[in-house]
Amino acid sequence: MREFVTKRLYQDVEGTCTGRYGYIVAVVAIMDIKMGKIIPGLGSAEFEVQYSAILFKPFRNEVMDAVVNTVNKIGFFASAGPLNIFVSHSLIPADMEFDPHTNPPSFHSEDIKIEKGTLVRVKISGTRIDATEIYAIGTIKEDYLGVIE
Amino acid sequence: MRMPKNRGPARPQAEETLDAARLELGDDFQEAECLLISEVRVLLEAQYDAKKEDKNLKEVYTKTLEYVQKFSRYTNRDTIKEVRALLKPTELEAFECAQLGNLCCSEWEEAKSLVPSIGSKISDDDLDSLLKQMDSLKKYQG
Repeated sequence: MREFVTKRLYQDVEGTCTGRYGYIVAVVAIMDIKMGKIIPGLGSAEFEVQYSAILFKPFRNEVMDAVVNTVNKIGFFASAGPLNIFVSHSLIPADMEFDPHTNPPSFHSEDIKIEKGTLVRVKISGTRIDATEIYAIGTIKEDYLGVIE
Repeated sequence: MRMPKNRGPARPQAEETLDAARLELGDDFQEAECLLISEVRVLLEAQYDAKKEDKNLKEVYTKTLEYVQKFSRYTNRDTIKEVRALLKPTELEAFECAQLGNLCCSEWEEAKSLVPSIGSKISDDDLDSLLKQMDSLKKYQG
């Protein structure tokens, strides 16, 4: 029974995302499974489980590294694990310009290029959370941010 | 207009008030343990075989695994232990320690700029020394 509840916990909870806890990446340990209670009328049982898990929640003004996925004229999308971060062209240093002619399209200045696959250090400037997903916007327009060598 | 009833434990703060720069992470995360990317890698890799066998590889898990493998700074558990040992005696909070371990800044200005909540919790010289020691660990790890 314990094994069943454990497996159900992994299935139900891992991979979910809420505004409060962010992404539940993986359950690490189960501390306690309380005695099951039958739910009247449904016939199913409810178990209260105490567990610890790895969570990923982005915070405003947090700096993190990310991988660029797509680049277009309004900016670029980068991902940090399950989180997608959009960096608008207004939050990219002014000396970097969008170039649709490079393959793949990129933002570049004289000596730096941002294209799919580039590693960038981004600061989260805001997050929006709906029921099951987190949307983040970021900036690379400050000191020590931008392309990672 | 109905006022929402306050039910159960403390309501989570509005997201707008949370701010990493001021180390305001909300009740749920303020006292939480913060893992280094390298530590997450160890934990997720340990689960990989079991998850693969159960055919329970969720997208969030695989994307996170890929991310931590790409950005992990420390290649073995001993180095991770030593990094933690360097960070522990400082007055820095869990989040700040994890950020320093993950971002691997080369000098104190960079560190204090990227993790502004550090402020004067540690002197510039001490921070510089800490960063150099962490860098050595990374350079000479097995």
